[in-house]
Amino acid sequence: MISLPGLNLTSAPPELLSDPQSTLTRTQDLSANTEYRFEVAFTRSLTIRLLSGTAEFFGTELAPSSAYTFQGTKGAIYTWHGCRLEIVGEAESEYTAEETQMMSYANAHFALESLREKSLHTGDIGPRVLVVGTENAGKTSVVKILTSYAVKFGRQPVIVNLDPRQGMLSVPGSFSAAAFSSIVDIEDGWGSSPISGPSPVPVKMPLVYHYGLANPEEGKLFRPLVTRMALAVTSRLEEDRASRQAGFIIDTPGAISQGKAGVYENIEHIISEFSVNVLFVLGSERLYSDLTRKYSNRIPEESVSVIRLDKSGGCVHRDETYMKQFRQAQIRAYFFGQAGDNALGPNSQMVDFDDLSIFKIIEASSEHNSSFRPGGGGDDDDAYSSGIEIYEKVTPSSMIQNSLLAITTASVNDGQEVIRDSSVRGYIYVADVDDLKKKVKLLSPQPGHTPPNAMVLGSFPEDIPGLVG
Amino acid sequence: MSSHSAEVAADFKDALQDLKLNSRPEISNLTIIAKENTEHAQAISRELETHIRTTRPEWKLPALYVLDSIVKNVGTPYTVYLGRDLYRTFMDAYVIMDSGTRKAMEGLLKTWKQPVPESMDARPVFQPEVTRDIENALIKFRTVAVQQQALSQRPGMQQNMPARPMPNVPWGNTPTPPQNVPRFAAPNDPRVRQPFPPAQNYGQYPSTGTPPVQYPAVQPSPQPVSSLDLEQLKTDLAKLIATTKDNFASNPSNVSTQAQLKALLGLETILRTQTLLPQQLEQIRNQIQLSSRPTAPTPAFAPPVSAPAPVIPSPQPQPLPNFPPALAQLLANTRPPVPPSSTPVPASLSLADMLRTVTTPSQSSSAPPSMPSFYSHPFAPVPPPVSTPVLVPVPAPAPAPAPNMATPTANLAQLLARFNPPAPTPASSQPVPLPQFLAQLPPAPPAHGSAEWLLNALKGFGTSGTPVNSTPVASEPMTRQASAPKLQNEVELTTASMKMPRLHLISRLYEAIPNICVTCGRRFESTPQGREKKARHMDWHFKVKDPDAAKRGIHRSWYISEKEWVEYQEVDETSPDQVSNGAPGAAAVVKKATKDKYVSVPDIALGRAPCPICQEEFKDHWLVEENDFVWMDAVKVNGRIYHATCWEEYSKGAGIATPSTPDSVLGKRKAEVSTPASGKKVRAY
Ligand SMILES: Nc1ncnc2c1ncn2[C@@H]1O[C@H](COP(=O)(O)OP(=O)(O)OP(=O)(O)O)[C@@H](O)[C@H]1O
Ligand SMILES: [Mg+2]
Ligand SMILES: [Zn+2]
Ligand SMILES: [Zn+2]
Repeated sequence: MISLPGLNLTSAPPELLSDPQSTLTRTQDLSANTEYRFEVAFTRSLTIRLLSGTAEFFGTELAPSSAYTFQGTKGAIYTWHGCRLEIVGEAESEYTAEETQMMSYANAHFALESLREKSLHTGDIGPRVLVVGTENAGKTSVVKILTSYAVKFGRQPVIVNLDPRQGMLSVPGSFSAAAFSSIVDIEDGWGSSPISGPSPVPVKMPLVYHYGLANPEEGKLFRPLVTRMALAVTSRLEEDRASRQAGFIIDTPGAISQGKAGVYENIEHIISEFSVNVLFVLGSERLYSDLTRKYSNRIPEESVSVIRLDKSGGCVHRDETYMKQFRQAQIRAYFFGQAGDNALGPNSQMVDFDDLSIFKIIEASSEHNSSFRPGGGGDDDDAYSSGIEIYEKVTPSSMIQNSLLAITTASVNDGQEVIRDSSVRGYIYVADVDDLKKKVKLLSPQPGHTPPNAMVLGSFPEDIPGLVG
Repeated sequence: MSSHSAEVAADFKDALQDLKLNSRPEISNLTIIAKENTEHAQAISRELETHIRTTRPEWKLPALYVLDSIVKNVGTPYTVYLGRDLYRTFMDAYVIMDSGTRKAMEGLLKTWKQPVPESMDARPVFQPEVTRDIENALIKFRTVAVQQQALSQRPGMQQNMPARPMPNVPWGNTPTPPQNVPRFAAPNDPRVRQPFPPAQNYGQYPSTGTPPVQYPAVQPSPQPVSSLDLEQLKTDLAKLIATTKDNFASNPSNVSTQAQLKALLGLETILRTQTLLPQQLEQIRNQIQLSSRPTAPTPAFAPPVSAPAPVIPSPQPQPLPNFPPALAQLLANTRPPVPPSSTPVPASLSLADMLRTVTTPSQSSSAPPSMPSFYSHPFAPVPPPVSTPVLVPVPAPAPAPAPNMATPTANLAQLLARFNPPAPTPASSQPVPLPQFLAQLPPAPPAHGSAEWLLNALKGFGTSGTPVNSTPVASEPMTRQASAPKLQNEVELTTASMKMPRLHLISRLYEAIPNICVTCGRRFESTPQGREKKARHMDWHFKVKDPDAAKRGIHRSWYISEKEWVEYQEVDETSPDQVSNGAPGAAAVVKKATKDKYVSVPDIALGRAPCPICQEEFKDHWLVEENDFVWMDAVKVNGRIYHATCWEEYSKGAGIATPSTPDSVLGKRKAEVSTPASGKKVRAY
């Protein structure tokens, strides 16, 4: 393998449109308990500064007079006490909302705090929370608010993301878990995983697995990975007192809340693997009543409090175009960091075909799908782990150009289940494939040697043409 | 600001970033930039002010020397731009300095009141109004400091003040360099400024052993109070104490009487042990008179929901109020930042608390605590101005653990702070915002000598690591807020319960953790531990603010493995082992123990070769100080990496020198950075 650090790598960021209009500065006064909702395109930016009062962005407080720049963001600045904001830039849409759900989300936090106080005395694990709800019901936003508030209370909750459509501290297509002991980044989603230099907001230390598909309802990977992650998180909580006491919060994709005839296999699987005891249902009345019925009459040790939270009026539908841009921005940020001072320099390298051991996820056909036993009871993962073909080994070809490979911690000779269950070291991007010379040009997050481990290729996230400009 | 102006300012800023010592060539260089770009004077001045405000305490003085050099060598328009906010620029820095640096600053100020030496212009460097305001503030500041010192009974306190001494900076010998650059002389300029002689002492102040600065006797307030009879005051106080004692004796279970008595005794101690300003005496007298009157159980008015209109930064300092509003009124309008029901009384009551206690009618202890917390805003909210005052019963004085009379250090200044509210508006018509929070209001430069300013000054003490308060710190609770009262089952975990408004709980997210970091918004408790944490947190901010980082090619690291993650201990940037113990800049190099040596994980050229001696693989560890993965117990010798311990063993007989760990991104700070206690677990910020 040759390393080519001087390859003049620049990411190809979406061109920023700048017109004189967009630099207009305005002030926005918010009265107590209202929020300023905005949508900014990926090609624009909106800078918000807190001039007076207090304000928070999904629970994280804005520092007085610091400028926060948003790009490709839909969100809201909420104030408990009233505030004055200075806003520079152009929003696709913006308005002030008087009616919000923040009080109920704060109540949810305070209720969890009561449980944390108890666990301080008993030594048991704190609240084990699962958040479900249909697409765009505001699940991720609620998880963020609960996280920020917990951190503000000096807690150190573990946050688990099981939604492949949107990565947490990693790229889309991944599942991850991280303990939050420092503030959630305001501009940068959940924040950043470790980088080799200083970071203005403390980095978070995620454990990352690769799922590689868009939909949790297909394929053979979702449930075994949930089982594996539950194991890792539970083990962590054995050792880590602060996190143990704070418990964990799991974010999920909307798809698992769809259900089939009132049965929600994946939700049930998560609840049983993680021993969830608090279930927040966002929005959907139907989902709430189905789940209440299922979990209301359980023995005390296994009881699950099912609580419905209203959907915020601010939640917006995000169409596929937006989601795709969102994913590309996440992947770009993985390699190149955030534009400006926090830019990262990935490394380009040429490798031989032989250097790569790529395991491609076999997409489940509809018949494969039926191999999930209906009615759940997926407590033992043996049922779907032994002897099933999960991957096919592929040699590099133009087919894999522009795709993302997950570098697992498994060796190339490991069994397929081992590869499936292993966490990932990181991702590399296939920038170019030369079929004739049998060479592949890779983009790696860091210089040096790419670990010679098994690499997994999934169908998700989709190809990202032109990541390297 | 034109884009060119921004460019020039950015260049200037870059050059400033490198200024860490009182370095003649650098100061001279910066002065030249300023001289050659007078059309961008505004932007440059802004940059300089910002730098002085935000840079580390020990780098502020060199930057002030730049300011000094520019105003003396270039003059207008810099004197105009820098003069506007000089009060704030100077005082913000002054309050966090150690006494040596303060002296140096006082020396600077002295020269600003005079014409530039050997200049034909007889006018002082800065307009007299500008320097006078600062001088007034200094007098007040010193009074407070002296009193604090007296109160704290800790003679060494000055030396323990926040700002770090700069033993390495030889300012005695390096005043702002004389500018001998010929082109500085613009012969046609009537205000031609000749280089001032180096004899003009900057740092070597006091050079003659005479008392520091001969300050004109400027009264902070023109109000004549000499008529006040201190002895009479003491007598009145003694009477009041006697009556209160009687009350207490007849009803020993009355907590509020007890607290009142303690507060009075505290006042008495202060009167006995300190020299107070006439104003203060006046206020105390009023207070005593008020307290001597029989009080009825009247509920007081909390400040109206709306706080004052946003304070617009004003370049003109506001005039001092002639008559401070009655203390009682101020106190009545000032609520503690946290709801009385939710916060334990701090171990040492502040004087303000004492005074409040004194005035609180004992009957009010039965007043039901409602939800005042929500209405005491952490910041002054702007819109909408609600004109209806909200009636809130006076919170009962919390059943106080005995206030520690020996350490009401912050108190007097708090009391003092209330003497000079920001504007001379009568307190009855204008609610007084919580000064603690106002002090954080970024766009409002505290008016000179105002309450905010003094509180800011006090904050400076707290944030810089030396808790003013010497209350013993209880052993660290596991969570940052373990001291907060329990929520118990206040919020039931049911769908219906989620919908109930509980605005009073929101104070847990704000007022209960009042000390905000203006850089990132993280909050800290106003306890000694909270202040320590904040100090370490601020240190962390400085540590990661690395202007050269972008140039060095930072990259994303690999994720840690499952096993490492399970064993991983989060490291809070506010925990003690994140911070160096030594003074920055100190040259003492601590020799690392062999096993604490490490190297960065090598790149491809070396591969992941095992230790050539024992053939064992190295493991990647996340090292917080480097913000990178490293191999612990490792040294690089001739391009190969060995276990440091293996190498030491091997090289013992051979007499080969062991290389030291390469310089880190943190440069010389590295030397004092503590090495991780255990190489076992990876760590991160
Ligand atoms: N109060 C609000 N104001 C403005 N925008 C909001 C608000 N709450 C949520 N949003 C935005 O609405 C979108 C959907 O919210 P969110 O991502 O929390 O939903 P979700 O249930 O997690 O969606 P998904 O099912 O895709 O995971 C996001 O872009 C989010 O930023
Ligand atoms: Mg989501
Ligand atoms: Zn901070
Ligand atoms: Zn060895």
